[in-house]
This record gives sequence, structure tokens and C-alpha cells, in this order.
Amino acid sequence: MYFPYLIAYMLAGFVISLITFVWALNAGQFKDQQRARYLPLQGETGPASARPSRFYRFKIIILFTLACSGLVSTAVVIVLIVLQNP
Amino acid sequence: MASTANEQAPSYPTAIAFCLTSTIWFAAATSFGMIAAGYLFAPDFLANIGWLHFGKARPIHVNLVLFGFVTPGLLAAGFYMIPKLLRTELFSEKLGVFTAVLWNVTMLCAIVGIGAGYSQGREYAELPWTVDLMIVVLFVLVIFNILMTIRQRKESILYVSVWYITAAVVLTGTTYGIGNVIWKPDTGALLGIPDAILLWFYGHNIFGLLLTPMGLAVAYYVLPIATRSPLYSHTLSLIGFWSLIVVYTHIGTHHLLQVPVPTYLKVIAIVDSVAMVIPVMVVLINLWFTVKGKWAEIHQDIGAKFVFAGTIYYFFVNIQGSMMSLPVVQRVTHFNNWVVGHAHIGVLGFAGVTALGGIYFLLPRITGKPIYSRFLADLQYWLVLIGITGFAIVLTIVGLIQGQAWINGETIYRVLPQIQPYYIARASLGITIMLGAYIGAYNIIRSIFFNPGATAK
Ligand code: HEM
Ligand code: HEM
Repeated sequence: MYFPYLIAYMLAGFVISLITFVWALNAGQFKDQQRARYLPLQGETGPASARPSRFYRFKIIILFTLACSGLVSTAVVIVLIVLQNP
Repeated sequence: MASTANEQAPSYPTAIAFCLTSTIWFAAATSFGMIAAGYLFAPDFLANIGWLHFGKARPIHVNLVLFGFVTPGLLAAGFYMIPKLLRTELFSEKLGVFTAVLWNVTMLCAIVGIGAGYSQGREYAELPWTVDLMIVVLFVLVIFNILMTIRQRKESILYVSVWYITAAVVLTGTTYGIGNVIWKPDTGALLGIPDAILLWFYGHNIFGLLLTPMGLAVAYYVLPIATRSPLYSHTLSLIGFWSLIVVYTHIGTHHLLQVPVPTYLKVIAIVDSVAMVIPVMVVLINLWFTVKGKWAEIHQDIGAKFVFAGTIYYFFVNIQGSMMSLPVVQRVTHFNNWVVGHAHIGVLGFAGVTALGGIYFLLPRITGKPIYSRFLADLQYWLVLIGITGFAIVLTIVGLIQGQAWINGETIYRVLPQIQPYYIARASLGITIMLGAYIGAYNIIRSIFFNPGATAK
């Protein structure tokens, strides 16, 4: 007999969601949506503190090498498969 | 508990503790992933180490990525942004740090428990009973801290991120115990088909009601700040939230389409899986319109860069997921590496990458200094991205080969030689991800403890 647990659980989930929704409605959570859009920005001053890397060229070289090795390994895999299944 | 004694800027020790937790277990989890990947192309690899064979390395890997890396990473951002969004302090930083310490002890117990052979053998619910209890306690502590913070808030409106995180922890706190059949300590399972239904109700909730809402919460917070733009529409974001709650809760049975479960459950699961397009596109339209034309700002902030990449993977994993829920597609894609590919795009590409983004976003804001090395962070970004995309391609190809083979009645052992080269490619790509994890751990630990500050590279 598994379903009494499940039905009880489903009902509990439904009721709790409904209560939360009604609370949100009454508490004005769906009002003042224009101000809500700005909430993350409050108190955020100055430019983002993480700066772009100075090793830009180095990064490009590494990425290029990585991309090439990826392509080479893909090519090796394809060649191996073709050789194994003539 | 919320101290107001001094006027200093808050230092968010809980968020820092969760950052460290996440970053360390990311490195450990990928190492276990590598071991599991090694076994798949060289079955005798490490053959004599009993506690580390494939049957143990795999669940250790999966549980560590889910509960050691991604969840704490997203919680770190949560413990930072909830107080900020509510214009208050975290209810108790002491309780938060205690939770993070207990979290690490729990992960250690998880490795020992599964390694010693106490796995309960149900996917995503392998952890032994005692560890299950510890996880429930962890979630209760997190829920208590978050709800009490909401109670003492000075901002009346709950921003959508607060809704998502609160729902994620409350829903997981309850679903975890039920899905792990915690009232039966000896087996941790029901009997027969009902057990499969319950397990996948719980299993999908881990992706859909834990990782997804927490990942979206981070994206909804990071992207507007990084681009200095208000959210495109808060109303739309709430529609996305409530439709996710309505739709995502019933789709677990799409994991059981080939199993004799009641047809009505399958129908509900399929219909709602397709309907998932609504909450998904609502979120993406909202986020992408918010950052529209602000690419330079996104690239400037490494945290935002990770988070934005996460939204792209979110798009792919969900579109792929809705397709995979159609029985005619699943006839090919089920029981093979296609699903493993989907799992990595979702859990790593979307949730994991977003968690990393959250960590990189909050660290400079908490420490007041740039991260130790922007270069290493960029390198990690590319290593992880190349790894995931490679995984997606290779595993999808293997999945299609296997899927066609099963349909044609081919035996497993005759397919193995054909897929071995792909398994080698997958393990090589795994090395890039693992390397990224270790580089990230170094960078994050240095950013927190040994950061020279403005001279950062
Ligand atoms: C619209 C949303 C989504 C849908 C409809 C969906 C659909 C599916 C389906 C049908 C499967 C089972 C495939 C099979 O066994 O044949 C599956 C597996 C999986 N999904 Fe998704 N997915 C969605 C989003 C996600 C997201 C966002 C994540 C991660 C955060 C995720 C993680 C996983 C994982 C880890 C599995 C593997 C489960 C296993 O071990 O068998 N999915 N998904
Ligand atoms: C070094 C990088 C990684 C390697 C080599 C790796 C390898 C593996 C292997 C071999 C499996 C078992 C697949 C099977 O049974 O056929 C697996 C499963 C899984 N991994 Fe990873 N993994 C890596 C990183 C990650 C990361 C970072 C995440 C998440 C953030 C992740 C999430 C998962 C999940 C959710 C599964 C279960 C998939 C399913 O059952 O469908 N992996 N991984």
C-alpha cells in the first residue's frame, strides 16, 4: 500500500503551495513590480571589481592550442573508428 | 542572533564557507569521475582496489557532484544574496558556518559509506541511511536560517531569487526524506514498481526542484547587477516561478516510460515535460532581454560570464529534455550514453557552471579585492566549457550508436569495441574538466586567504 503516503504527500504539497500563493497575493508580493525589477541593483556601487585578464594574448594561444588538440583528438577517433570498421 | 553591534561591512562567513566546500568537492568529484571514466575503456584499471571499483566510484562521483559541488556552490550565492536582497543580515552566520562544516563531514561520510559497500543501490538515493539523516538535518538548518532571515527582512517585496531559493530548499528538505524512504532504514526502498515511481519522483526533483531553481536564482541576481540593468520583467519572472512549481513536480515518470507503470502517470509526465517549455522560455526571454546589447559588461565580470554560459546550457538541456520525453525519441535514447550526455549538460553545464559563476561573482564583493587571478579564472572557464561541450558531443554519438544497436537486437559485448575510442575521448575531455576544477580550487582558495589584492593578475 504505497498510495496513501503519496496522496497525503501530494495533498500536503498542494495545500502548502496554495497557502503560500494566497499569502503572497495578500502580502502584496505581486504589486509594485516596477520597483521589484531594481531590487538587485540597490546598494551596488562602482564598477564590477573583477577586471579583464592582462594575459589576453597568452589566453588566445592556450585556447587555440586546446581547440586544435580537441580537433586532432576528434580526427584521431574518427580515423580509428573507420580503420576498425572497414 | 543577527548582530548589529558594529558598523563594519558584513563579511559573509557562511557564503565563504560554502564557496570553499563547493570548490574542494568539485575537485574531488571530478577525480572520482575520472576513475569511473577510466574503468569504462580499461575495465581492469585499478581492479584490485575493492572500495574504488566502478560500482562505487560512480555513485561517489554522482553524489559528490550533486551534494558536494553544485548544491553548496549555489547555496554560497544564496547565503550572500538573500540578506542583500532583503536588506538585512543572515539570521545566524554561526549557524551557517556550522551547517557548512557539517556539510563537509556529511560528504566524507558519504564517501566512506559508499566505499565501504553500504550503498542503498537506488540512483541518486545511494547514500546510506545515516548519511540520509545528516542531509535532512543539513536542509532543516538551511531552511531555518533562510526562513528566519526572511522574517527579519527590511524589504517587503521578495525578489524572484528569494522565491526560488526558498522553494528549492523547502521542497528538497521534504522530498529528500520521502524519496529516500527514510522510514525504512534497512533498505531505504519500497517494494516493486511503486519504488521506481517514488524514486524518480524524487530523482527528478533533485534536478528540477533543487538545482534548477537555485541556478535560476543566481542568474536572476548576477546578470542584472553585472550589466547594470534592471530585470526585464519581474512579473514574468514570477510567472516563470509559479509555472515551474506547477509543471516540474509531476514529470518524474518520464524516466520510466519503458517500465510498466500506470499509463496516466506516463501521460502526465510527457505532457508536463513538453509544457516545461513555458517556464524555461519565460526565464530565458526575461534574462536574455535583461542583458541584451550588454556583452562587454558580461565579459568584464568573470562571474557573469560563467552564469551567462549556464543560461545557454539551460536552453539546450531543456529543449533536449522535452524531446527525450517523447516515447518515440526515447525508444532510441534510453538506456545509453545519450542520457549521460544530457545529465552532464544539465548538472554540470547549467547548474555547475552557474554555481562557479556565483562563486566568482560574490568573492570580490565579499573580500573587497579582485579575484586572485582573472587569467586562471578565464582558463578554468574555457577548460570546463570545452570539456562539457566535448562530453555532450561524444556521449551523444555513443548514445546513438548504442540506441541503434539495442533497437536492432545487437548484443552489448559486440558494441563495446565500437564505442571504446569514444570512451577514450570522453576520458581525455574529463581531464580538461578535472584540470579546470583544480585550477579553480587554487584560484578560489588564494582569492580568499592569500590574496595580494589590487596587484592581482
Ligand atoms: C524541460 C526540462 C527537462 C526535461 C523535460 C528533461 C527530461 C529528461 C528525461 C526524459 C530524462 C530521462 C531519459 C531516459 O532515461 O531515457 C532525463 C534524464 C536526466 N535529466 Fe533531464 N530534463 C530536463 C531538464 C534537466 C535539467 C535542467 C537537468 C539538470 C539540472 C537535468 C538532469 C537530468 C539528469 C541528471 C538525468 C539522468 C537521470 C538518470 O540517471 O537516468 N534535466 N531528463
Ligand atoms: C572529470 C570530469 C568528469 C568525468 C570524467 C565524469 C565521468 C562520469 C562517468 C564515467 C559517469 C558514469 C556514466 C555511466 O555510468 O556510463 C558519470 C555520471 C554522471 N556525472 Fe560525471 N564526470 C565528470 C564531471 C562531472 C561533473 C562536474 C558533474 C556535475 C556537475 C557530473 C555529473 C554527473 C552525473 C549527474 C552523472 C549521472 C549520469 C546518469 O546517470 O545519467 N559529472 N560521470
